[in-house]
Amino acid sequence: MGANNTFDAIVVGAGHNGLVAANYLAKAGKKVLVLERRADAGGQLAGASFDGQAYPPLHAGGRLRPDIVRDLDLARFGLSDADSVDAVYTSMLPDGRTLSLSSKPNDAKTLESIRQFSAKDAGAWPEFAAFMDRAAAFLDAAYRTPMPRLPNIGLAEGWPLAKLAWTLRRLGGRDMFRVIRAMSMSAVELTEEWFESEELKAAIAAVAIHGHTLGSMSAGTGYTLMHNWLNRGGVAHRAPAGGSVRIAEALVAALKSRGGEVRTAAAVAQIVVDRQRATGVRLESGEEILAGIVLSAADPRTTLLGLVGAPELPPEFVWHTRSIKMRGSQAKVHLLTDGKHGIPAGTVAIAPTLKYLERAFDAAKYGELAERPYLEVTTAGDVVSIHVQSAPYKLRHETWDTARARVEQLAVDTLAERFPQLKASVRSLRSITPVDLERDYSLTEGDPNHGQLILDQMFFMRPMPGWSTHLTPIDGLYLCGAGVHGGGGISGAAGRNAAQAVLKAK
Amino acid sequence: MTSNQYDAIVIGAGHNGLIAAAYLARAGKKVAVLERREVVGGAAVTAEPFPGYRFSQFSYVVSLLRPEIIRDLELPRHGLKILPLPSTVTPMDNGDYLAAWDDHDLSRQELYRHSPLDAEASDEYGRVMARAAKAIKPIIGLVPPDPSSLSLRDMKGLLKLGQYGKSLSEQELYRISKLLTQSAADLLNEWFEFDPLKGTKSASGIIGTFLGPNSPGTAYVLLHHYMGEIDGAFRAWGFCKNGNGGVTQAIASSARALGVEIRTNAAVQQVIVKNGRAAGVALANGDELQAKVVISAADPKRSFLQFVEEKHLPGDFVQQIRNFRVRGSSGKVNIALSELPDFTCLPGEGPLHRGAISISPSMEYIERAYDEAKYGQFAKNPYIDMIIPSMIDRDMAPPGHHVMSCFVQYAPYDIEGGWDDAKRDAFGETVISTIERYAPNIRRAIVGKQVITPKDIENIAGITGGNIFHGELLLHQLFFLRPAPQWADFRTPLPGYYFGASGAHPGGGVMGAAGKMAAMEVLKDWK
Repeated sequence: MGANNTFDAIVVGAGHNGLVAANYLAKAGKKVLVLERRADAGGQLAGASFDGQAYPPLHAGGRLRPDIVRDLDLARFGLSDADSVDAVYTSMLPDGRTLSLSSKPNDAKTLESIRQFSAKDAGAWPEFAAFMDRAAAFLDAAYRTPMPRLPNIGLAEGWPLAKLAWTLRRLGGRDMFRVIRAMSMSAVELTEEWFESEELKAAIAAVAIHGHTLGSMSAGTGYTLMHNWLNRGGVAHRAPAGGSVRIAEALVAALKSRGGEVRTAAAVAQIVVDRQRATGVRLESGEEILAGIVLSAADPRTTLLGLVGAPELPPEFVWHTRSIKMRGSQAKVHLLTDGKHGIPAGTVAIAPTLKYLERAFDAAKYGELAERPYLEVTTAGDVVSIHVQSAPYKLRHETWDTARARVEQLAVDTLAERFPQLKASVRSLRSITPVDLERDYSLTEGDPNHGQLILDQMFFMRPMPGWSTHLTPIDGLYLCGAGVHGGGGISGAAGRNAAQAVLKAK
Repeated sequence: MTSNQYDAIVIGAGHNGLIAAAYLARAGKKVAVLERREVVGGAAVTAEPFPGYRFSQFSYVVSLLRPEIIRDLELPRHGLKILPLPSTVTPMDNGDYLAAWDDHDLSRQELYRHSPLDAEASDEYGRVMARAAKAIKPIIGLVPPDPSSLSLRDMKGLLKLGQYGKSLSEQELYRISKLLTQSAADLLNEWFEFDPLKGTKSASGIIGTFLGPNSPGTAYVLLHHYMGEIDGAFRAWGFCKNGNGGVTQAIASSARALGVEIRTNAAVQQVIVKNGRAAGVALANGDELQAKVVISAADPKRSFLQFVEEKHLPGDFVQQIRNFRVRGSSGKVNIALSELPDFTCLPGEGPLHRGAISISPSMEYIERAYDEAKYGQFAKNPYIDMIIPSMIDRDMAPPGHHVMSCFVQYAPYDIEGGWDDAKRDAFGETVISTIERYAPNIRRAIVGKQVITPKDIENIAGITGGNIFHGELLLHQLFFLRPAPQWADFRTPLPGYYFGASGAHPGGGVMGAAGKMAAMEVLKDWK
């Protein structure tokens, strides 16, 4: 195929970060090819289909960072503004009451709903929501700031960091210290400083631990609350009109219009390395494609130990790569119903108390399925999608072959306690276990974030100490997935950061 | 009443209070230390609950006490004598044991028996941790600058901190960053495979902390325990002659020799404020003492929520002190014995009795103990750290008899329904029956038993919440955030009122650094 098979850059994986990185490169005039193992582009935002029935993507919500939408002109490719969606987050309580929170700080309905549980908390909510918005904005700035390698920080790397420090100081003494403290606090400690109602504290703490293998009492869940708040734009998931699948579609359309190429059903078997330099990839079909540089949106462990291989890498680096904490502990149960499920729109949580959340985490900690799981539920027409947390990848007493049926039953039974008409309305059911996430979505240990969002794996330590610059020991190989700085959740920041690092290096 | 007129008054005769007073007296100030109890020493006291049997009632080992303080206050001349604790033995559930002796080769052989891989990793781990502790040590002696302030002093402090950062190598910087943020479990799992080894090492990460080894932040607590030294021997732990009361007795003796007046049975009711400045204290018995400055060595809650009327402090600051975490997580059982506990893993009297004996078969064992505590119960299978001081210092018990000190975690301060005599008894019984599994003769050997719950620590030693560090060593309660943002430099929002105890930077563990630094800051401000 000759010159036709040579690209400026190959991106491994068409998840949203891979597509964002590809778009930035294509926009800069590079000839880019994105290779995707699965049949559809989009990764966790790709629509799923079982037995001919379409299901929503793995990730219920999703908002790309506004600067990415702007930079890539995605509105032109059909991506509407997710912020205009009035998202509601509802915690269903055992006594039949509901706590409904909107992301708007002064929403009257939200205040009224909180007032059922505590008038004092209703009074504190607007300031809390406003503070969380400011904290999230700071985190956004941090995720935008390149994290240099320590301690050789020259002026070029030091200046953005100084600007970030200034952003933090500009929050004012009070908020600045609140943000610094919240980073290492637990969600329980953080919410206790603001609220008295158990129901409200638990509803917020659930958002903090969503997607992470941590309990609400674990230190560092103050940080994951800020992270999830930033990515959601509040407490509820927000998806653009048409669902989060639209994000992937818009990114693909934008890329194509910029001359980029996406090949699906094209699994990369190997990143080809010649004398410590990436020269292209070899597909499982045996086909070799050459490129000046390779970006991988796969998780760091898959990329480095799977696609490159330990023999090509320094031993200490291999040790660090193996030490990345992955730890997925979530399953998804999709229910196809007759539409009479009774579940309200928006994001619905089964997270009644802090201890309930913690006990569910305890089970996951010891490799067991939680008998009383923390659930988060979204609906798309007749389809009910249940996110089951505390379903650990590494089960101690059984395998996922037998656990699959149990997690399905636990999810449906737990949800049916709040929505009695649910069971009768279910027509069929599909579940995605952590093992499926690894096999079908290439997520090592089923970790959707490509590495736990714990402080020792963040910022200049993401994905590992010394390699926060998107570089790897292999020249010309860059990391651009959720496992690198800016990553975790749907935001596109990791892809953007990686592309910028690539373009700056040229 | 000229005798009630001082340059400085220190509230609380714990080791920090006494050290602060001694340094001020050394600078020529007229100083009084006021102690609520009838004895000096705070949480470092030796008590004799049963005639002839003497116990380090609360804190029971030393290592972190700053060497410059020992030198400056000439503590050895005043009776400080530290005897080494040479070993740690962990009995295992299968009847075997894991031991770390004071002989390096022997310890290595011993570990090799269980896990060749861990034996290989152990030396390197020790070197890495010692380097990290050494690298972070200069921070201990630094007055934390306020990062939100533009004052000359704070800018200088930040600059100093920056220079310090520059002095570290890339590896050290990353190592420290990881140690500050990760969990003890993640740290140890990266290095080791043998459960009893990981369990025993992880215990240093949870002492005095209401977190399990799997919770992020516990690696720092582990590192904190690596910062000690005895006579220059890095990270060695020791036992003080005459118990930990011996430490405070030596400091008190040094302070008195420098002219400090120590008053016991002198409970402070309130700090007197005149013209917006601390001007002295009022005692519970009605006496009033005047001073130019007042230094509190009590815990942050007492210092700011009890001794000072709320109207004298900014609302934000009061709120921050209320939010300061002081969750007590540990208890103590002091046992008088007619014979040595006979451990099935190493029968008869042996070298294990001269060191620490640790009930920590695995990290999961400790994590599960934490799980019970977080739901408001004491652990049914607790982590226990035992030492038998009478083996090292024969004066602690009658001839042939022994005293054994058991540090027990977890026992929550906020136990469901609150602590009472029945729960205290049940807690003591749990500890005895846990030890009995490894040393079956323990029950018949008991002559007397003193059970101390976190509530008792609060009641007796006066530490709110019963937390042995006056506040947990959590990342958001360290350095410039300890005890509250913008007030980590030993000053307080009330002019003339200073704060120098474990609740201040750099935290607890019979270090004395907070007391010394508070005194130094007082002297800097002296006009």
